[in-house]
Amino acid sequence: METFLEKIKDRISVNFELDRSSIDVERKRVDVQIKKEQIPSILRYLKENMNFRHLMHASVVDWLEEGKFEVLFMLWTPKEKIRVFVRTKLDRDNPVMENLDMIWPQLNTYEREFKEMYGIEFTGLVAPEEFILEDWEGPPPMRRDFDTEAYAKDVFSERIGREDAQDVRETIAKRSGEVIPDFAKKHSR
Amino acid sequence: MKRERATTLYFGPQHPGITGNMMIRLKVEGDTIVKATTEVGYLHRAFEKLVEKRNWVQSFTLMCRFCVPEPDPVENTYARAVEMIAGIEIPERAKWIRVLILELARMSSLLLWHAGQGHSLGLYTMGQWSVGDRNYILDLFEELTGARIYHMYVWPGGVRKDFPEGFEDRVLKVMDYFENKLPDYDNLLFENSIFQKRTQGVGIVNPEQIIEHGVVGQPLRAAGIKSDIRIDDSYEVYDKLKFDIPTQTGSDIWARALVRRAELRESISIIRQVIGKIPKGDFNVKLPNPQKWTIPAGDAFARAESVRGEVGMYLVSDGGNKPRRAHFRGAAYVHAVSLLEDVLVGANIADVSAIMNSLGTCPPEIER
Repeated sequence: METFLEKIKDRISVNFELDRSSIDVERKRVDVQIKKEQIPSILRYLKENMNFRHLMHASVVDWLEEGKFEVLFMLWTPKEKIRVFVRTKLDRDNPVMENLDMIWPQLNTYEREFKEMYGIEFTGLVAPEEFILEDWEGPPPMRRDFDTEAYAKDVFSERIGREDAQDVRETIAKRSGEVIPDFAKKHSR
Repeated sequence: MKRERATTLYFGPQHPGITGNMMIRLKVEGDTIVKATTEVGYLHRAFEKLVEKRNWVQSFTLMCRFCVPEPDPVENTYARAVEMIAGIEIPERAKWIRVLILELARMSSLLLWHAGQGHSLGLYTMGQWSVGDRNYILDLFEELTGARIYHMYVWPGGVRKDFPEGFEDRVLKVMDYFENKLPDYDNLLFENSIFQKRTQGVGIVNPEQIIEHGVVGQPLRAAGIKSDIRIDDSYEVYDKLKFDIPTQTGSDIWARALVRRAELRESISIIRQVIGKIPKGDFNVKLPNPQKWTIPAGDAFARAESVRGEVGMYLVSDGGNKPRRAHFRGAAYVHAVSLLEDVLVGANIADVSAIMNSLGTCPPEIER
């Protein structure tokens, strides 16, 4: 097991000219930090040459404070039972990376979702315009600076009969003459 | 002028054969499908966004809602991902209880599949039987967790409470009931010549589609590949249990049905083993005050085998009292989008519903 982990580390660092410190090996998991331009080649290399055939998952994390999006791909080899996490960071202001669905066609679905929810552009992606959101004109909603409540208040109106947005507890108390104890008041809206 | 031969047909979101709130736009020539496009967006509840605003324990209450027919594997992956990042070691008994819950959920979901697959081909009696029998499992869930569908039971640090008195005996009685009942299911569904004719050679998943689309679960095993996360990437105490991974080679609806038929029997065997071997002891570790509970920065990916195939939870902590990101991957995320769109090409309109059921389509997993 140790030898296979070392082999992955060696091969990746040599083939992709990476410093060995950017490859983190812990138990059965290898973490590789890499530039976004090298993502297609490393994924293809791992899939075709190192037997990491199964793409378990792909994800995006919004690091708002750093001004970056982290995009990661989680691969698995059923034979050696090792996970590899390939990570890259994109600028939040201009999140663009290459389309990858020719490597695993299932990535097409992920890319459509990331485009819609985070506003990441995948150059060369061929897919229908809309995935989950329909006629959406607001900012990408999964970004951390998207304020769900403010957006909802701005775009949608109160349901008819609820315009005054009464507090249920207080209204009932007013009607019945019940006194709300102090400790319960803070839970009222 | 070239004449357009194809017609567009909207299958769902209100079609009785659809497996939930989604739609497939079919382009058909006669009754043969030439193109299929999955359209979702009817069910998005922004759970992954909500999780970022809730603490680690509040977030756990949302997890079961990611997939209605089988919520426990999602709870389990979330709990294990939290434990991996926080470095929590759970008591041995909790692991055994979790396996029992996961297998009961598996049985309940397989019984629902019997109903769905029967309905999709006009065999309504199957659903009346299996959904009726499933109630005995839901009764067990209600007794143990207080809820029939959304259990909110497997949480970080173990499980929420221990077995009530005499619970093990009642589980075994339900298992006896099912063992006597399953031959009737065979008579009704698997030996039914209409069911066989409608499913054999239909909805074939090709070997090259398997890696490309990340096929998991029964569609993978029905293509002859012996793979199951419970063994390949073992979690909880699955490595201490003896069970078989059923496989078939046909890769069609029929082969997937036979795999599920065998898996129902394997689950009964696993539950019996768990009841026989479960150790005594604590069922959870005490967690800190949920409002103040912070978890060191880090990330983890936990995965489990659900009835539809591999599911996984990618969880990120930034050192705070809320998850930075929780991203769930359900089997249907690929099965019901890119794979389904490929498999439906060349199929007959009448088979769409059966193919969807057989691939384990679960729309809440696509849009969380």
